[in-house]
Amino acid sequence: MSTHPGPRARLTGGLLFWYAVLGGAIAWAVHLLAVWGVDELTCAGGRERIGALPLRAVIGAAVVLPALATVGALLAAALVWRRTSHPPEGVDERPVGRGRMAAVVAIWSNLLFLTIIVLGGIALLVLPPCLR
Amino acid sequence: MSTTAAAPAPGASREDLAALEERWGERPSLRSWFGTVDHKRIGRRYLVTAGFFFILAGLSALAMRTQLARPESRLLSPQEYNQLFTMHGTAMIFLFATPMLFGFGNFLVPLMIGSRDMAFPKLNALGYWVFLFAGLFMWASLPFGAAPNGGWFAYVPLTERTNTPGLHMDVYSLGLLFLGIATTAGSINFIVTALKLRAPGMSLNRVPLFVWAIVATAFMVIFALPALNLDNAMLFLDRRFGTHFFDPGAAGNVLLWQHLFWIFGHPDVYIIVMPALGIVSAVLPAFTRRGVVGYPLIVFAIVAISIISFGVWVHHMFATGLPRLSYSFFSAASTIITIPSGIQIFAWLATMALGRVVLKVPMLFLIGFVVTFVLGGFTGTMFALTAFDQQVTDSYFVVAHFHYVLIGGAVFPMLAGIYYWLPKITGRMYHEGLGRWAFWLVFAGMHVTFFPMHLYGLFGMPRRVYTYRSEPGWDGWNLVSTAGSYLLAIGLLLVLIGVLHAIRRGRPAPPDPWGADSLEWSTDSPPKPYNFPVLPRVHSLHPTWDEASRESMGAGATRDRILADGRRTLLTSELDGSRERVVEMPEASLQPLVLALAMLVFFTAMLVAWYPVAAVAAVAVAATIAVWLWPPRRPERELGVQP
Ligand code: HEM
Ligand SMILES: [Cu+2]
Repeated sequence: MSTHPGPRARLTGGLLFWYAVLGGAIAWAVHLLAVWGVDELTCAGGRERIGALPLRAVIGAAVVLPALATVGALLAAALVWRRTSHPPEGVDERPVGRGRMAAVVAIWSNLLFLTIIVLGGIALLVLPPCLR
Repeated sequence: MSTTAAAPAPGASREDLAALEERWGERPSLRSWFGTVDHKRIGRRYLVTAGFFFILAGLSALAMRTQLARPESRLLSPQEYNQLFTMHGTAMIFLFATPMLFGFGNFLVPLMIGSRDMAFPKLNALGYWVFLFAGLFMWASLPFGAAPNGGWFAYVPLTERTNTPGLHMDVYSLGLLFLGIATTAGSINFIVTALKLRAPGMSLNRVPLFVWAIVATAFMVIFALPALNLDNAMLFLDRRFGTHFFDPGAAGNVLLWQHLFWIFGHPDVYIIVMPALGIVSAVLPAFTRRGVVGYPLIVFAIVAISIISFGVWVHHMFATGLPRLSYSFFSAASTIITIPSGIQIFAWLATMALGRVVLKVPMLFLIGFVVTFVLGGFTGTMFALTAFDQQVTDSYFVVAHFHYVLIGGAVFPMLAGIYYWLPKITGRMYHEGLGRWAFWLVFAGMHVTFFPMHLYGLFGMPRRVYTYRSEPGWDGWNLVSTAGSYLLAIGLLLVLIGVLHAIRRGRPAPPDPWGADSLEWSTDSPPKPYNFPVLPRVHSLHPTWDEASRESMGAGATRDRILADGRRTLLTSELDGSRERVVEMPEASLQPLVLALAMLVFFTAMLVAWYPVAAVAAVAVAATIAVWLWPPRRPERELGVQP
């Protein structure tokens, strides 16, 4: 958001922005589909392993990786927030104002999605995967 | 009353206004009535038609309550009762709540964002006609004794042909498929309109909360409705053509219906409530004399709810025996989704606390909304206790809960919205005293009807029974409920009388009777066919409250925002609302009506199994679409229309 960024910087800035805004939501969606699908299908098949791996490890990975991706999105959102807090003089106020709002929305939503994923992770620690 | 009445646009010259009138005005004629593509007329029609379906569904409810007033009464047969509660639920959800809110959206979104119409005006007209015909299609089955009768969520195997013969559930599946066309078309239109037609300067952080809510709702519809459509298509194929999608005997799956239904159904709760909450955020500033507290947080809440609501559907199926761990992932989302809803409630309470509350009728309904909705939310969290949930599932406790949520969360905000925007829609003020009476009757009637349902629900009375034996605790409270429902009906009748009275006798309304903040109050009441003589340039979140934005329509008007030489409006960029180019808008057309009629013939023919007629209708549909989409032959110079 500085004075005249080159096209490369604009592209990375844009990607970072969208990662900050959508990262947590997408990570959570992937997480939910993965853990639910894997758990239910494997248990319905009467197994507790997927190939060589125990089911619990697979589900654990489907919790930890999305959680890390969400933490990354949270950091990106914090960065966008920092960058929009002291806009240099003379830049158009609209992209800055809009970016700042997006940063607030992104920080809160990444926190929220992180909480959901972590709560699911706690359930994994407590419950055996195929208990009905 | 008003201090900020918009000046009659010194920015646009007399010739400009005449040219705009010439391009946008519609002379009253039968052709223009059937062919109009004006979002304000279409929005009004949505409101009136949804109101009409509300009356039908409400009369069905009154008939049920009359039957249930005393034990073992003989007013309705079990078959009639089944059709009445199913039509009541289905119509309230699909033909009243969503279309009513889409009606508000249709009327208001272009005005709030400073545009001259929706992005696709003809598609908008199509949406209305399809909605009207689908609604009539479903209600018309009632006099024939062939109305849907399997409950509003139509669980298989009950609704399969062997268990429910007759046309009933075919009306349900075809009717909802037909209606889905309208809802989908409307949603696409809202999304494109709000992303591309915002007035220059309206970057995303200046978009009114109501518009955010409508757009989020539209996205939810786009993702949720296909699941319901798929479900209904499979149900119809199973019933009519003997496929086995839901038949475990032939490797089908009964739970498939429930999964697909609730993948749609849970987001649908928010599809109904979200735009209503948007109304709350829109009405509040005018009656607290300040902007809603925490704008970015409310935007966050809207966005978060619309996403998370897709990850909670399994909580409707806690009784179906999936692995406990699988449930936990969904419970996590179900618990967390209450946080953004809570944020909105607290933001409104803070707004009321920090502002100066003006107790006009719309504000009364907002307070009624908060009280009722919070009570409904409270009983909702009680279901999270699984033991309690098991006790009250399928009892009247559940009926009480969801009426608190739906009447509190949708009907009260709508009523607030009706009183609030009536001056804008009709150009007339309502009668304050009549409105207050209506509020108190509706509020009292609502609680007298539904509060006792918690009690006899706890005493064990199941829902969806056409009558009951006398039981301790049931008889008296049922009578109270019935009395309450008549009170509620009288209150709602007063609302209707108030609206009619305003239209016939009301004082003419100034452009901004409330001193409100959003753009619709910067133009005439009712707005001219072209909405704004000069399209505004937006400088803040509250354009009608800020001098610079208002001036952009008056002394600061520029030619590139008047656009009088044609039926045109401005296209702007999605994020920042920067001016992109001028676009030509379509004229009135009969194609939407013809297309909707052809679809009506198609669905009716499918229902009564006249397949050749259905085939002809399908060809007519395809032909109309082809004519509609055929590239127009325009003179060269018109093709290069540029700013
Ligand atoms: C206007 C006053 C209303 C009254 C007096 C009323 C009354 C009732 C009653 C008595 C039932 C239970 C029928 C039974 O289980 O045997 C019921 C069911 C239902 N109502 Fe209402 N209602 C009203 C408004 C609404 C509204 C505004 C909505 C939604 C926006 C709504 C949605 C439903 C639904 C979804 C059902 C469940 C239908 C089913 O079991 O399939 N109702 N209503
Ligand atoms: Cu739900």
